[in-house]
Amino acid sequence: MLNIEHLDLSFGDSKVLDDINLEVHKGEVITFIGPSGTGKTSLLRCINLLEKPDGGRITLGGDTYDYGSITKKETLDLRRKTAMVFQQYNLFKNKTVLENVMDAQIVVQKKSKAAARDKSMAELARVGLEAKADAYPHQLSGGQQQRVSIARALAVEPEVILFDEPTSALDPELVGEVLKTIGEVAGSGMTIILVTHEMSFAEDISDRVVFMDRGKVAEEGPPQQIFRHSNHARTQQFLRKFYTASH
Amino acid sequence: MDIQYMIEIFPRFLLVIPITILIVVLSAIFGLMLSIPVAAIRIRKIPVLSQMMGAYISFTRSTPILLQLFLFFFGLPVLLQLIGFDIMKIDAITAAVACLIVFNGAYMSEVLRPAYLAIEKGQHEAAESLGYTPFQKMKTVIIPQMAPIALPGLGNAIIHLIHDSSLVFAIGVVDIMGMATIMSGDTFGMKQVEVFLTVALIYWGISMISEQLIRLLERRKKKVLKNTGYKLKEEEAGYSV
Ligand SMILES: Nc1ncnc2c1ncn2[C@@H]1O[C@H](COP(=O)(O)OP(=O)(O)OP(=O)(O)O)[C@@H](O)[C@H]1O
Ligand SMILES: [Mg+2]
Repeated sequence: MLNIEHLDLSFGDSKVLDDINLEVHKGEVITFIGPSGTGKTSLLRCINLLEKPDGGRITLGGDTYDYGSITKKETLDLRRKTAMVFQQYNLFKNKTVLENVMDAQIVVQKKSKAAARDKSMAELARVGLEAKADAYPHQLSGGQQQRVSIARALAVEPEVILFDEPTSALDPELVGEVLKTIGEVAGSGMTIILVTHEMSFAEDISDRVVFMDRGKVAEEGPPQQIFRHSNHARTQQFLRKFYTASH
Repeated sequence: MDIQYMIEIFPRFLLVIPITILIVVLSAIFGLMLSIPVAAIRIRKIPVLSQMMGAYISFTRSTPILLQLFLFFFGLPVLLQLIGFDIMKIDAITAAVACLIVFNGAYMSEVLRPAYLAIEKGQHEAAESLGYTPFQKMKTVIIPQMAPIALPGLGNAIIHLIHDSSLVFAIGVVDIMGMATIMSGDTFGMKQVEVFLTVALIYWGISMISEQLIRLLERRKKKVLKNTGYKLKEEEAGYSV
Protein backbone atom coordinates (compact mmCIF):
# COMPACT_ATOMS: atom_id res chain seq x y z
CA MET A 1 0.00 0.00 0.00
CA LEU A 2 2.91 2.30 0.84
CA ASN A 3 6.04 1.72 -1.12
CA ILE A 4 9.22 3.76 -0.99
CA GLU A 5 11.97 3.20 -3.52
CA HIS A 6 15.49 4.57 -3.57
CA LEU A 7 14.80 7.56 -1.36
CA ASP A 8 17.79 9.86 -0.94
CA LEU A 9 18.07 12.99 1.16
CA SER A 10 20.99 15.27 1.89
CA PHE A 11 21.36 18.49 3.82
CA GLY A 12 24.11 20.38 2.06
CA ASP A 13 27.04 17.99 1.80
CA SER A 14 25.87 15.44 4.33
CA LYS A 15 23.86 12.52 3.12
CA VAL A 16 21.14 11.92 5.71
CA LEU A 17 19.13 9.17 3.98
CA ASP A 18 20.83 6.80 1.60
CA ASP A 19 18.79 4.66 -0.77
CA ILE A 20 15.91 3.83 1.56
CA ASN A 21 13.49 1.15 0.36
CA LEU A 22 10.42 0.29 2.35
CA GLU A 23 7.21 -1.54 1.75
CA VAL A 24 4.32 -1.21 4.18
CA HIS A 25 1.10 -3.20 3.94
CA LYS A 26 -2.31 -1.99 4.90
CA GLY A 27 -2.88 -2.21 8.64
CA GLU A 28 0.77 -2.88 9.37
CA VAL A 29 2.65 -1.24 12.24
CA ILE A 30 6.27 -0.54 11.36
CA THR A 31 8.61 0.83 13.99
CA PHE A 32 11.90 2.57 13.32
CA ILE A 33 14.60 2.46 15.94
CA GLY A 34 18.20 3.51 15.84
CA PRO A 35 20.82 5.88 17.23
CA SER A 36 20.27 9.60 17.39
CA GLY A 37 20.94 11.50 14.18
CA THR A 38 20.41 8.44 12.03
CA GLY A 39 17.64 9.96 9.94
CA LYS A 40 14.47 8.47 11.46
CA THR A 41 12.73 11.83 11.81
CA SER A 42 13.98 12.86 8.39
CA LEU A 43 12.48 9.74 6.82
CA LEU A 44 9.04 10.44 8.29
CA ARG A 45 9.28 14.05 7.15
CA CYS A 46 10.16 12.91 3.64
CA ILE A 47 7.10 10.69 3.49
CA ASN A 48 4.79 13.69 3.80
CA LEU A 49 7.21 16.12 2.18
CA LEU A 50 7.98 18.39 5.09
CA GLU A 51 11.44 17.61 3.76
CA LYS A 52 11.98 17.27 0.02
CA PRO A 53 14.11 14.26 -0.90
CA ASP A 54 16.71 14.55 -3.63
CA GLY A 55 15.35 11.53 -5.41
CA GLY A 56 13.32 8.37 -5.21
CA ARG A 57 9.70 7.41 -5.55
CA ILE A 58 6.80 6.81 -3.25
CA THR A 59 3.60 4.94 -3.97
CA LEU A 60 0.70 5.58 -1.66
CA GLY A 61 -2.96 4.72 -2.06
CA GLY A 62 -2.48 3.62 -5.66
CA ASP A 63 -0.62 6.71 -6.89
CA THR A 64 3.09 6.97 -7.51
CA TYR A 65 4.94 10.22 -6.92
CA ASP A 66 8.42 10.91 -8.18
CA TYR A 67 10.24 12.93 -5.53
CA GLY A 68 12.58 14.47 -8.06
CA SER A 69 9.82 16.05 -10.11
CA ILE A 70 6.91 16.33 -7.70
CA THR A 71 4.51 19.22 -8.33
CA LYS A 72 2.76 21.43 -5.79
CA LYS A 73 -0.50 19.70 -6.48
CA GLU A 74 1.01 16.27 -5.99
CA THR A 75 2.61 17.46 -2.76
CA LEU A 76 -0.76 18.50 -1.35
CA ASP A 77 -2.28 15.29 -2.63
CA LEU A 78 0.34 13.14 -0.91
CA ARG A 79 0.09 15.11 2.33
CA ARG A 80 -3.66 14.68 2.36
CA LYS A 81 -3.21 10.91 2.41
CA THR A 82 -0.93 11.02 5.42
CA ALA A 83 -1.10 12.51 8.90
CA MET A 84 1.74 13.26 11.25
CA VAL A 85 1.87 13.15 15.04
CA PHE A 86 4.73 15.34 16.20
CA GLN A 87 6.99 15.02 19.19
CA GLN A 88 5.87 18.48 20.35
CA TYR A 89 2.17 17.84 19.51
CA ASN A 90 1.93 21.09 17.49
CA LEU A 91 -1.75 21.64 18.12
CA PHE A 92 -3.05 24.88 16.61
CA LYS A 93 -2.75 27.26 19.54
CA ASN A 94 -5.48 29.60 18.37
CA LYS A 95 -8.09 26.86 18.19
CA THR A 96 -9.99 24.83 20.73
CA VAL A 97 -9.52 21.09 20.97
CA LEU A 98 -12.62 20.51 18.88
CA GLU A 99 -11.58 23.10 16.29
CA ASN A 100 -8.16 21.48 16.07
CA VAL A 101 -9.73 18.19 15.14
CA MET A 102 -12.38 19.75 12.86
CA ASP A 103 -10.31 22.28 10.96
CA ALA A 104 -8.62 20.16 8.30
CA GLN A 105 -11.90 18.41 7.53
CA ILE A 106 -13.51 21.77 6.79
CA VAL A 107 -10.59 23.62 5.21
CA VAL A 108 -8.94 20.80 3.30
CA GLN A 109 -11.62 18.17 2.86
CA LYS A 110 -14.46 20.69 2.40
CA LYS A 111 -16.80 18.78 4.69
CA SER A 112 -19.82 20.49 6.19
CA LYS A 113 -19.40 21.88 9.68
CA ALA A 114 -21.93 19.48 11.10
CA ALA A 115 -20.30 16.42 9.56
CA ALA A 116 -16.86 17.57 10.70
CA ARG A 117 -18.15 18.14 14.21
CA ASP A 118 -19.70 14.68 14.45
CA LYS A 119 -16.57 13.02 13.15
CA SER A 120 -14.37 15.08 15.50
CA MET A 121 -16.45 14.31 18.58
CA ALA A 122 -16.27 10.61 17.70
CA GLU A 123 -12.48 10.77 17.39
CA LEU A 124 -12.19 12.74 20.62
CA ALA A 125 -14.30 10.08 22.34
CA ARG A 126 -11.92 7.49 20.97
CA VAL A 127 -8.96 9.16 22.67
CA GLY A 128 -11.05 9.81 25.78
CA LEU A 129 -11.13 13.60 25.57
CA GLU A 130 -14.60 14.59 24.46
CA ALA A 131 -15.00 16.44 27.76
CA LYS A 132 -12.13 18.75 26.74
CA ALA A 133 -13.65 19.73 23.39
CA ASP A 134 -13.89 23.42 24.29
CA ALA A 135 -10.55 23.74 26.05
CA TYR A 136 -7.55 25.40 24.44
CA PRO A 137 -4.37 23.34 23.97
CA HIS A 138 -2.36 25.18 26.62
CA GLN A 139 -4.95 24.24 29.21
CA LEU A 140 -4.21 20.54 28.70
CA SER A 141 -1.39 18.34 29.95
CA GLY A 142 1.20 17.17 27.44
CA GLY A 143 -0.34 13.72 27.35
CA GLN A 144 -3.79 15.13 26.66
CA GLN A 145 -2.41 17.40 23.93
CA GLN A 146 -0.75 14.45 22.28
CA ARG A 147 -3.99 12.46 22.41
CA VAL A 148 -5.81 15.40 20.76
CA SER A 149 -3.18 15.46 18.06
CA ILE A 150 -3.81 11.74 17.51
CA ALA A 151 -7.54 12.49 17.20
CA ARG A 152 -6.69 15.25 14.71
CA ALA A 153 -4.69 12.76 12.66
CA LEU A 154 -7.43 10.13 12.79
CA ALA A 155 -10.12 12.62 11.81
CA VAL A 156 -8.79 13.09 8.29
CA GLU A 157 -8.87 9.31 7.71
CA PRO A 158 -5.35 9.09 6.31
CA GLU A 159 -3.89 6.05 4.59
CA VAL A 160 -1.07 6.08 7.12
CA ILE A 161 -0.25 7.91 10.36
CA LEU A 162 3.36 8.88 11.00
CA PHE A 163 4.37 9.11 14.66
CA ASP A 164 7.69 10.81 15.46
CA GLU A 165 8.69 9.98 19.03
CA PRO A 166 5.20 10.80 20.26
CA THR A 167 6.07 10.31 23.94
CA SER A 168 9.57 11.68 24.26
CA ALA A 169 8.49 15.21 25.19
CA LEU A 170 6.21 13.92 27.93
CA ASP A 171 6.68 13.63 31.66
CA PRO A 172 7.17 9.95 32.51
CA GLU A 173 3.81 9.61 34.23
CA LEU A 174 2.02 10.75 31.06
CA VAL A 175 3.71 8.35 28.67
CA GLY A 176 1.39 5.45 29.48
CA GLU A 177 -1.87 7.12 28.43
CA VAL A 178 -0.42 8.11 25.05
CA LEU A 179 1.04 4.65 24.39
CA LYS A 180 -2.31 3.14 25.28
CA THR A 181 -4.02 5.41 22.75
CA ILE A 182 -1.51 4.52 20.05
CA GLY A 183 -2.02 0.85 20.87
CA GLU A 184 -5.76 1.26 20.35
CA VAL A 185 -5.23 3.04 17.05
CA ALA A 186 -2.96 0.20 15.92
CA GLY A 187 -5.55 -2.32 17.05
CA SER A 188 -8.21 -0.63 14.93
CA GLY A 189 -6.34 -1.55 11.76
CA MET A 190 -4.73 1.82 11.00
CA THR A 191 -1.45 1.66 9.11
CA ILE A 192 1.27 3.15 11.30
CA ILE A 193 4.88 4.15 10.91
CA LEU A 194 6.33 4.85 14.32
CA VAL A 195 9.66 6.22 15.49
CA THR A 196 10.22 5.59 19.17
CA HIS A 197 12.71 4.89 21.90
CA GLU A 198 10.09 2.97 23.91
CA MET A 199 11.58 -0.43 23.14
CA SER A 200 9.19 -2.67 25.04
CA PHE A 201 6.22 -0.85 23.56
CA ALA A 202 7.77 -1.24 20.10
CA GLU A 203 8.21 -4.94 20.71
CA ASP A 204 4.57 -5.30 21.75
CA ILE A 205 2.93 -3.26 19.06
CA SER A 206 5.02 -3.70 15.92
CA ASP A 207 4.51 -6.11 13.07
CA ARG A 208 7.97 -5.22 11.84
CA VAL A 209 10.91 -3.32 13.28
CA VAL A 210 13.49 -1.48 11.21
CA PHE A 211 16.85 -0.69 12.70
CA MET A 212 18.35 2.36 11.02
CA ASP A 213 21.95 3.31 11.18
CA ARG A 214 23.67 6.29 9.56
CA GLY A 215 20.99 6.96 7.01
CA LYS A 216 20.50 3.36 5.95
CA VAL A 217 18.26 0.48 6.84
CA ALA A 218 20.67 -1.78 8.68
CA GLU A 219 18.34 -4.58 9.66
CA GLU A 220 14.63 -5.27 9.57
CA GLY A 221 12.41 -8.07 10.73
CA PRO A 222 9.77 -9.14 13.22
CA PRO A 223 10.19 -7.60 16.69
CA GLN A 224 11.37 -10.84 18.32
CA GLN A 225 14.13 -11.17 15.80
CA ILE A 226 15.37 -7.58 16.18
CA PHE A 227 15.03 -7.31 19.92
CA ARG A 228 15.91 -10.88 20.97
CA HIS A 229 17.83 -12.66 18.26
CA SER A 230 19.54 -10.01 16.20
CA ASN A 231 22.75 -11.25 14.63
CA HIS A 232 23.61 -7.79 13.39
CA ALA A 233 26.47 -6.28 15.36
CA ARG A 234 25.27 -2.66 15.20
CA THR A 235 21.77 -3.58 16.33
CA GLN A 236 23.08 -5.58 19.29
CA GLN A 237 25.42 -2.77 20.22
CA PHE A 238 22.63 -0.18 20.01
CA LEU A 239 20.20 -2.24 22.08
CA ARG A 240 22.83 -3.11 24.68
CA LYS A 241 23.74 0.55 25.07
CA PHE A 242 20.09 1.43 25.17
CA TYR A 243 19.22 -1.04 27.89
CA THR A 244 22.21 -0.18 30.06
CA ALA A 245 21.33 3.51 29.73
CA SER A 246 17.70 3.08 30.68
CA HIS A 247 18.00 0.48 33.45
CA MET B 1 -7.21 84.39 24.36
CA ASP B 2 -10.27 84.62 22.18
CA ILE B 3 -12.31 81.50 22.84
CA GLN B 4 -15.23 82.97 20.95
CA TYR B 5 -12.98 83.12 17.87
CA MET B 6 -11.92 79.50 18.34
CA ILE B 7 -15.55 78.43 18.35
CA GLU B 8 -16.21 80.52 15.24
CA ILE B 9 -13.42 78.98 13.18
CA PHE B 10 -14.10 75.41 14.23
CA PRO B 11 -16.73 74.75 11.50
CA ARG B 12 -14.22 75.73 8.82
CA PHE B 13 -11.97 72.93 10.03
CA LEU B 14 -14.84 70.47 9.88
CA LEU B 15 -14.73 70.93 6.10
CA VAL B 16 -11.13 69.74 5.84
CA ILE B 17 -11.08 67.02 8.52
CA PRO B 18 -12.29 64.55 5.85
CA ILE B 19 -9.14 65.32 3.82
CA THR B 20 -6.95 64.34 6.75
CA ILE B 21 -9.03 61.24 7.41
CA LEU B 22 -8.93 60.29 3.74
CA ILE B 23 -5.16 60.59 3.66
CA VAL B 24 -4.79 58.57 6.86
CA VAL B 25 -7.22 55.82 5.87
CA LEU B 26 -5.84 55.35 2.36
CA SER B 27 -2.25 55.38 3.60
CA ALA B 28 -3.01 52.90 6.38
CA ILE B 29 -4.90 50.43 4.19
CA PHE B 30 -2.61 50.48 1.17
CA GLY B 31 0.47 50.78 3.38
CA LEU B 32 -0.55 47.57 5.13
CA MET B 33 -1.15 45.89 1.78
CA LEU B 34 2.29 46.98 0.60
CA SER B 35 3.93 45.86 3.84
CA ILE B 36 2.83 42.24 3.35
CA PRO B 37 4.99 41.47 0.28
CA VAL B 38 7.82 43.56 1.74
CA ALA B 39 7.77 41.50 4.94
CA ALA B 40 7.46 38.27 2.93
CA ILE B 41 10.52 39.12 0.85
CA ARG B 42 12.54 39.88 3.97
CA ILE B 43 11.34 36.78 5.82
CA ARG B 44 12.21 34.51 2.91
CA LYS B 45 15.49 36.36 2.44
CA ILE B 46 14.99 36.36 -1.34
CA PRO B 47 18.39 37.37 -2.71
CA VAL B 48 18.73 40.89 -4.16
CA LEU B 49 15.07 41.75 -3.49
CA SER B 50 15.60 41.31 0.23
CA GLN B 51 18.60 43.64 0.22
CA MET B 52 16.61 46.16 -1.82
CA MET B 53 13.78 46.05 0.71
CA GLY B 54 16.32 46.45 3.51
CA ALA B 55 17.64 49.61 1.87
CA TYR B 56 14.11 50.89 1.30
CA ILE B 57 13.18 50.34 4.95
CA SER B 58 16.38 51.93 6.16
CA PHE B 59 15.91 54.94 3.86
CA THR B 60 12.32 55.65 4.92
CA ARG B 61 13.26 55.27 8.56
CA SER B 62 16.29 57.50 8.46
CA THR B 63 15.11 60.47 6.44
CA PRO B 64 12.60 63.09 7.64
CA ILE B 65 9.08 62.53 6.39
CA LEU B 66 8.91 66.13 5.29
CA LEU B 67 11.79 65.50 2.94
CA GLN B 68 10.13 62.35 1.65
CA LEU B 69 7.00 64.36 0.91
CA PHE B 70 8.99 66.85 -1.18
CA LEU B 71 10.74 64.03 -2.98
CA PHE B 72 7.40 62.54 -3.95
CA PHE B 73 5.78 65.82 -4.89
CA PHE B 74 8.61 66.97 -7.12
CA GLY B 75 10.11 63.61 -7.98
CA LEU B 76 7.03 61.61 -9.00
CA PRO B 77 6.25 63.69 -12.12
CA VAL B 78 9.88 63.34 -13.22
CA LEU B 79 9.69 59.59 -12.67
CA LEU B 80 6.37 59.33 -14.51
CA GLN B 81 7.82 61.26 -17.44
CA LEU B 82 10.74 58.86 -17.57
CA ILE B 83 8.37 55.95 -18.06
CA GLY B 84 6.40 57.82 -20.69
CA PHE B 85 3.57 59.62 -18.91
CA ASP B 86 3.43 63.27 -19.84
CA ILE B 87 2.59 64.85 -16.52
CA MET B 88 4.12 68.11 -15.43
CA LYS B 89 2.74 68.20 -11.93
CA ILE B 90 0.84 65.82 -9.73
CA ASP B 91 -1.96 66.60 -7.39
CA ALA B 92 -0.61 67.31 -3.90
CA ILE B 93 -3.02 64.89 -2.21
CA THR B 94 -1.96 62.12 -4.57
CA ALA B 95 1.68 62.78 -3.83
CA ALA B 96 0.99 62.89 -0.09
CA VAL B 97 -0.94 59.62 -0.10
CA ALA B 98 1.65 57.90 -2.30
CA CYS B 99 4.42 59.04 0.01
CA LEU B 100 2.67 57.89 3.18
CA ILE B 101 1.76 54.53 1.61
CA VAL B 102 5.40 53.96 0.78
CA PHE B 103 6.42 55.06 4.27
CA ASN B 104 3.92 52.77 5.97
CA GLY B 105 4.74 49.88 3.66
CA ALA B 106 8.21 49.94 5.20
CA TYR B 107 7.15 50.71 8.77
CA MET B 108 4.40 48.12 8.94
CA SER B 109 6.54 45.43 7.33
CA GLU B 110 8.82 45.74 10.33
CA VAL B 111 5.80 45.11 12.56
CA LEU B 112 4.62 42.09 10.58
CA ARG B 113 8.01 40.46 10.25
CA PRO B 114 8.70 39.86 13.95
CA ALA B 115 5.05 38.87 14.46
CA TYR B 116 5.41 36.22 11.77
CA LEU B 117 8.71 35.01 13.14
CA ALA B 118 7.19 34.68 16.62
CA ILE B 119 4.96 31.83 15.41
CA GLU B 120 6.57 28.47 16.05
CA LYS B 121 7.67 26.37 13.10
CA GLY B 122 5.54 23.51 14.42
CA GLN B 123 2.36 25.51 13.74
CA HIS B 124 3.32 25.76 10.07
CA GLU B 125 4.31 22.12 9.86
CA ALA B 126 1.15 20.85 11.51
CA ALA B 127 -0.96 22.61 8.88
CA GLU B 128 1.34 21.61 6.03
CA SER B 129 1.38 17.97 7.08
CA LEU B 130 -2.42 17.93 6.81
CA GLY B 131 -2.31 19.27 3.26
CA TYR B 132 -3.29 22.90 3.82
CA THR B 133 -2.34 25.16 0.92
CA PRO B 134 -0.07 28.06 1.91
CA PHE B 135 -3.09 30.37 1.72
CA GLN B 136 -5.28 28.10 3.88
CA LYS B 137 -2.47 27.81 6.42
CA MET B 138 -1.99 31.57 6.64
CA LYS B 139 -5.69 32.27 6.88
CA THR B 140 -6.72 29.75 9.49
CA VAL B 141 -3.59 29.19 11.55
CA ILE B 142 -0.84 31.76 11.14
CA ILE B 143 -2.57 35.12 10.70
CA PRO B 144 -4.96 34.57 13.62
CA GLN B 145 -1.91 33.98 15.82
CA MET B 146 0.04 36.89 14.33
CA ALA B 147 -2.78 39.39 14.68
CA PRO B 148 -2.66 39.87 18.45
CA ILE B 149 1.12 40.14 18.34
CA ALA B 150 1.16 42.70 15.53
CA LEU B 151 -1.74 44.80 16.76
CA PRO B 152 0.09 47.12 19.17
CA GLY B 153 2.69 47.90 16.51
CA LEU B 154 0.07 48.53 13.83
CA GLY B 155 -1.88 50.73 16.24
CA ASN B 156 1.27 52.71 16.86
CA ALA B 157 1.82 53.08 13.14
CA ILE B 158 -1.64 54.58 12.74
CA ILE B 159 -1.18 57.09 15.54
CA HIS B 160 2.15 58.08 13.98
CA LEU B 161 0.45 58.35 10.63
CA ILE B 162 -2.18 60.74 11.96
CA HIS B 163 0.57 62.98 13.27
CA ASP B 164 2.76 62.67 10.18
CA SER B 165 -0.18 63.57 7.97
CA SER B 166 -0.09 67.06 9.48
CA LEU B 167 3.03 67.69 7.40
CA VAL B 168 1.32 67.36 4.03
CA PHE B 169 0.34 71.05 4.12
CA ALA B 170 3.98 71.69 3.24
CA ILE B 171 3.37 70.52 -0.32
CA GLY B 172 0.14 72.49 -0.55
CA VAL B 173 -2.55 70.08 0.64
CA VAL B 174 -5.33 71.94 2.40
CA ASP B 175 -5.83 69.53 5.26
CA ILE B 176 -6.41 70.58 8.87
CA MET B 177 -2.94 72.00 9.15
CA GLY B 178 -3.15 73.57 5.69
CA MET B 179 -6.36 75.30 6.70
CA ALA B 180 -4.66 76.54 9.86
CA THR B 181 -1.84 78.19 7.93
CA ILE B 182 -4.37 79.84 5.62
CA MET B 183 -6.32 81.18 8.58
CA SER B 184 -3.34 82.45 10.44
CA GLY B 185 -2.46 84.35 7.27
CA ASP B 186 -6.02 85.70 6.99
CA THR B 187 -5.79 87.34 10.38
CA PHE B 188 -2.35 88.78 9.60
CA GLY B 189 -0.89 86.64 12.37
CA MET B 190 -3.12 88.19 15.06
CA LYS B 191 -4.90 84.99 16.14
CA GLN B 192 -2.17 82.40 15.67
CA VAL B 193 -2.43 80.98 19.19
CA GLU B 194 -6.19 80.48 18.86
CA VAL B 195 -5.87 78.87 15.44
CA PHE B 196 -3.13 76.43 16.36
CA LEU B 197 -4.69 75.63 19.72
CA THR B 198 -7.89 74.70 17.90
CA VAL B 199 -5.85 72.50 15.56
CA ALA B 200 -4.11 70.85 18.50
CA LEU B 201 -7.48 70.10 20.09
CA ILE B 202 -8.75 68.60 16.83
CA TYR B 203 -5.70 66.32 16.49
CA TRP B 204 -6.10 65.33 20.10
CA GLY B 205 -9.69 64.37 19.42
CA ILE B 206 -8.87 62.37 16.29
CA SER B 207 -6.05 60.53 18.04
CA MET B 208 -8.27 59.77 21.04
CA ILE B 209 -10.99 58.34 18.83
CA SER B 210 -8.46 56.25 16.91
CA GLU B 211 -6.95 54.97 20.11
CA GLN B 212 -10.37 53.92 21.33
CA LEU B 213 -10.96 52.01 18.11
CA ILE B 214 -7.60 50.31 18.43
CA ARG B 215 -8.35 49.49 22.05
CA LEU B 216 -11.54 47.74 20.99
CA LEU B 217 -9.41 45.49 18.80
CA GLU B 218 -6.91 45.02 21.61
CA ARG B 219 -9.58 43.70 23.90
CA ARG B 220 -10.16 40.96 21.36
CA LYS B 221 -6.44 40.49 21.13
CA LYS B 222 -6.15 39.93 24.89
CA LYS B 223 -8.72 37.19 24.63
CA VAL B 224 -6.88 35.49 21.77
CA LEU B 225 -3.54 35.82 23.54
CA LYS B 226 -5.00 34.27 26.65
CA ASN B 227 -6.36 31.39 24.59
CA THR B 228 -3.15 30.68 22.77
CA GLY B 229 -1.21 30.77 26.01
CA TYR B 230 1.51 32.90 24.43
CA LYS B 231 3.13 34.98 27.11
CA LEU B 232 4.45 37.82 25.05
CA LYS B 233 5.87 41.01 26.37
CA GLU B 234 4.48 43.97 24.49
CA GLU B 235 7.98 45.24 23.69
CA GLU B 236 8.98 42.22 21.67
CA ALA B 237 5.63 42.25 19.99
CA GLY B 238 6.05 44.82 17.30
CA TYR B 239 7.45 48.03 18.70
CA SER B 240 10.60 47.29 16.83
CA VAL B 241 10.48 50.40 14.68
N1 LIG C 1 17.00 20.94 8.69
C1 LIG C 1 18.19 20.33 8.77
N2 LIG C 1 19.28 20.90 8.25
C2 LIG C 1 20.49 20.28 8.31
N3 LIG C 1 20.70 19.09 8.87
C3 LIG C 1 19.64 18.46 9.40
C4 LIG C 1 18.33 19.04 9.40
N4 LIG C 1 17.47 18.19 9.99
C5 LIG C 1 18.23 17.12 10.37
N5 LIG C 1 19.51 17.28 10.02
C6 LIG C 1 20.60 16.29 10.23
O1 LIG C 1 20.19 15.09 9.66
C7 LIG C 1 20.59 13.99 10.43
C8 LIG C 1 19.39 13.11 10.74
O2 LIG C 1 18.54 13.79 11.62
P1 LIG C 1 17.19 13.18 12.16
O3 LIG C 1 16.54 14.22 12.99
O4 LIG C 1 16.43 12.65 11.02
O5 LIG C 1 17.71 12.00 13.08
P2 LIG C 1 16.88 11.06 14.07
O6 LIG C 1 17.23 9.67 13.72
O7 LIG C 1 15.45 11.45 14.07
O8 LIG C 1 17.56 11.42 15.46
P3 LIG C 1 16.89 11.47 16.93
O9 LIG C 1 16.80 10.07 17.42
O10 LIG C 1 17.88 12.27 17.72
O11 LIG C 1 15.57 12.14 16.80
C9 LIG C 1 21.29 14.54 11.64
O12 LIG C 1 22.66 14.48 11.43
C10 LIG C 1 20.83 15.96 11.69
O13 LIG C 1 21.81 16.78 12.25
MG1 LIG D 1 14.13 12.27 15.51
